[in-house]
Amino acid sequence: MENRPLEYDYTVAKMFMFTTVVLGIVGMLVGVILAFQLAYPEVNTILGEGLAEYTNFSRLRPLHTDAVIFGFTFSGIWATWYYVGQRVLKVSMAESALLMFLGKLHFWLYLVGVAAVVVSLLMGITTSKEYAEFEWPIDIAIVVVWVIWGLGLFGLIGIRREKSLYISIWYYIATFLGIAMLYLFNNMEIPTMLATNAAGESGIGAWYHSVSMYSGTNDALVQWWYGHNAVAFGFTVPIVAMIYYFLPKESGQAIYSYKLSLLSFWGLMFVYLWAGGHHLLYSTVPDWMQTMGSIFSVILILPSWGSAINMLLTMKGEWQQVAASPLIKFMVLGSTFYMFSTLEGPIQAIKSVNAIAHFTDWIVGHVHDGVLGWVGFMIMAALFHMAPRVFKREIYSKSLMATQFWIQTLGVVLYFTSMWIAGITQGMMWRAHDEFGNLAYSFIDTVTVLHPYYTIRGVGGLLYLVGFLMFAYNMYKTMSARPVEESELQSASPMGA
Amino acid sequence: MGIAEYQAYGYFGLTAFLVFALYSYIYHLYSTDKKDGGHDYENYSNIALNDDISDAPVSPISDDKEK
Amino acid sequence: MFHWLEKHPFFFAVGVFLVISFAGLIEILPNFAQASRPVIGTAPYSTLELTGRHVYIKNSCNACHSQLVRPFKSETDRYGHYSLSGEYAYDRPFLWGSKRTGPDLWRVGNYRTTDWHENHMKDPAGVVPGSIMPAYTWMFTNKADVDTAYAEQLTVAQFFSVPYNKPVPMKDGSAKVVKMGNSVAEANALALAEAQVIAADMKDQNVKDAVARGEIPEIVALIAYLNSLK
Ligand code: HEC
Ligand code: HEM
Repeated sequence: MENRPLEYDYTVAKMFMFTTVVLGIVGMLVGVILAFQLAYPEVNTILGEGLAEYTNFSRLRPLHTDAVIFGFTFSGIWATWYYVGQRVLKVSMAESALLMFLGKLHFWLYLVGVAAVVVSLLMGITTSKEYAEFEWPIDIAIVVVWVIWGLGLFGLIGIRREKSLYISIWYYIATFLGIAMLYLFNNMEIPTMLATNAAGESGIGAWYHSVSMYSGTNDALVQWWYGHNAVAFGFTVPIVAMIYYFLPKESGQAIYSYKLSLLSFWGLMFVYLWAGGHHLLYSTVPDWMQTMGSIFSVILILPSWGSAINMLLTMKGEWQQVAASPLIKFMVLGSTFYMFSTLEGPIQAIKSVNAIAHFTDWIVGHVHDGVLGWVGFMIMAALFHMAPRVFKREIYSKSLMATQFWIQTLGVVLYFTSMWIAGITQGMMWRAHDEFGNLAYSFIDTVTVLHPYYTIRGVGGLLYLVGFLMFAYNMYKTMSARPVEESELQSASPMGA
Repeated sequence: MGIAEYQAYGYFGLTAFLVFALYSYIYHLYSTDKKDGGHDYENYSNIALNDDISDAPVSPISDDKEK
Repeated sequence: MFHWLEKHPFFFAVGVFLVISFAGLIEILPNFAQASRPVIGTAPYSTLELTGRHVYIKNSCNACHSQLVRPFKSETDRYGHYSLSGEYAYDRPFLWGSKRTGPDLWRVGNYRTTDWHENHMKDPAGVVPGSIMPAYTWMFTNKADVDTAYAEQLTVAQFFSVPYNKPVPMKDGSAKVVKMGNSVAEANALALAEAQVIAADMKDQNVKDAVARGEIPEIVALIAYLNSLK
C-alpha cells in the first residue's frame, strides 16, 4: 500500500479551469466586437476589407454564442465537476487509473472539438440552428466527448464512499442526461453523402453537408425545445449545482433547507421542458402548445425561486460575510440575478408581452442579465473558491477581486438596462400606426434610433471583459506568485491584499 | 379517436401522476425524520461541509452491506 | 421508495430521464405529421435557389433577419400575409431566426428586385442611409457551391419524397414542375440557366463576365433565393 495519505486529485479540474479562463476571454472579446459592430458598422472590417468575410457580425455571432456556451460555461461546469464530484462523494480520482484516464481523455478530445468548431464556424460551415450550428462530423465528436464524461461521472459515483448523493450531484446527473437527450434529437440530420452514394455518384459537393430530419415548423419546434432547454441544462441546472456546493462551503453555513433544494430539483425537471414553446408564440406551431409554453413559463418561477431563495437564506444571520468577502458577494449577487432573470423570462413569455418583446433586443438583454450576472459570476466565484485549494495558495489579491466585482456589476447593469430600453423602443415603433392607420415608422427609423443604446451596451460589455481579464490575472498570479500553504483549507478562502 | 385526443389524455394522466408523486414526495420528506429508521434530510447538508477525504461519510456505503 | 431512489444513481437517473422526456413526447411527436404538409402554392427550391439558401446560411443572415410574419396588423402591413405552417414544408432547416436587427425577409421577393439587392448587398448604407447591415462584397467574387445544393436535392428527394421533377399545384390552379438534374453536370447547367436570367438584370461587370464564362458568383445564387421568398 501507499505511504502518502490519500488526497483529492485535481489534475483534470485544473485543465478545465484553464480552458474556462481562456475560452471566456475569447468568447467575451468576440461579444464586445459584436456589440460595437452594431453601434459602428465600420467595425465589421476591423481587420481590413479582405478579411471582412471572417470578421463581420454575422460570421462572428455564432462564434460568440458557442465560445461562451460550449467553451466558457461547459469548461466551468467540468472544472467544478472534477472538483466537487470527488469531494462530496469522498473518493479521489487518484484511486482509479481508469477514471483518471477518462478524465484526461475527456479534456483532450474536448480541446480538439473546440478547435474544429472555431475553424468551421469561421469558414461559415454551419447548420444555422442556434447553439447547434455544427455539422455532423463535429456532432459525433461532441457525442463521444459527452459519453466519456458520462462514463467518468457514473464511474466516480460507482466507487463512492458517501452513499447518499449530495444535491449538487443530482444536478450534474441531470445536466448530463438533459443535454444528451436534447442534443441527440435536435441534431438528427442526414448526411448528403448517404443519398449521393446510393445514387451511384460519390462525393458530390461538401462531404460534411447534411440535411435536417425535420422541416419547417417541426424543425422550429424541435430547435426551440432544444434551444430553450439547452439554456436550462447548461445555464441553470449545472450552475445551481455549483452554488449548492460553493456557497455553503465558502460561508460555512448549511443549506437553509435541504428539503426545499430537493423539491425544487424535481419541480425544475418537470416544468422546464414545457417552457420551450414560449420561443414560438404567434408562430405557426399549434395554439395549445403556445399556451402551454406560456403557462409553464410562469409556473417555472416557483422552482427557480425555490432554489434562489434557499441560497439567499443560507446566508441568514451571516450577512456581514457579504460585506467582508468579495467571493460571497459574487455568489449572492449571482443568486439575485438568477431571481431577476427567472422573473423577467416568464414575463416575456406572457403572450401579450411577447407580442412586443419577441425579435427585439429586450431578449438579448434578458439573455445577458442571466449569463453575465448569474452564470459568469457563479463560475468565476467557483474558480476563486477552488484556486486556493487546488493550487494550495491564497488568492493573490482581494482588493483586485473587489474592484473586479464592482466593475463587472456596473457592466451588467449598463448592458441590460440599455437593451431593455432598446428592445421596448424597437417593439413599440414596429407596431406604431399613425392616425390614418398607416405604419408610423419605416424600418430604418427603428434601427438608427438604437445607436446610443448599442453604444452603451458596448461599453457595458467592455467593462465586463475588463473585469474578466482582472479575474484571469488574479488567477494567474495566484498560481505563480503566492507561497504554498501547508494546511488543508476549511471554509472561507484566504485572500491576499 | 384522433391523435390529438390521445395526446390530451396522455397529457392529463401523466401530469396528474407527477403531481401526485410530487405531493407524496413532500409528505415523505417531512415525515421521515419522525419515523423509526427514518432520517433527517437536513443532515445531508453536511456532505458538503465535511467533505475532506478523511472526514467520515454522512451515510457510509458500508452501512448498507451490514444489513 | 424515494429514499431508495436517492441512493441508487442508476434508477435515479432513469427517473430524471422519464420526467424530462415527458414534455418532448407529448408536446412534439404527435404534431409531426400535421405540420409538415405543404400548402398549395409552395414549391421546392430550385437548384440555384437552394445554392443561394446555402449562401444565406453560410453568412448567418438569420443572425439579424427573421423569416416569420406574425399575425398582427403591424406585421402584415409591413411584410405581407402572415406565415402559414405549410409554407415552410420544404425548409430544412427552418430559418425563422430569433431577432430582427433587420426586417423580416419571408416575403421580400414581393417588394425588392434583383438590382436593388445588388446595390444593397454591396453597400447597404449607400442604399439605405443609416443601415448597420454589413456589406457583403466578397459574395461578388466567391464562387457558389452548386454541387452541394444538388447533393441536398438528391437527399431530400430520396429521403423525404420532396417532389422534384413532379407537378406541384399552384394557387391559380396550374401546376409547376421544379426540375432537378440527373447528374452533376445537368444540375450545374440548370443552375447556370437560372443564373443568366438574374445576371441580365445586374450591373456589376465582373459578375456578368463570370456568368458568361459559366461560373456562378455567390451573389447571383443569393439573389435567386431572395427573389424566391414570396
Ligand atoms: C447586423 C445585422 C444584419 C446582418 C448580419 C444582415 N442584415 Fe440585412 N439588414 C439589416 C438591417 C439593419 C436592414 C435594414 C436597413 C437596410 O435596408 O439596409 C437590413 C435590410 C436587408 C434587406 C432589405 C429588406 C427590406 O425589406 O428592405 C435585405 C434583402 C437584407 N437585409 C438581406 C440580408 C442578407 C441576404 C444578409 C446575409 C448575407 C443580411 N441581410 C445580413 C441588418 C443585417
Ligand atoms: C463581455 C461580455 C459579453 C458581450 C459584450 C456580449 C455581447 C453579445 C452580443 C452583441 C450578442 C448579439 C446580440 C444580437 O444579435 O443583437 C450576444 C448574443 C448572445 N450572447 Fe453574449 N456577450 C457577452 C457575454 C456572454 C456570455 C458570458 C454568455 C454566456 C455564457 C453570452 C451568451 C450569449 C447568447 C446565448 C447570445 C444569443 C442571444 C439570442 O439569440 O437572443 N454572452 N452577446
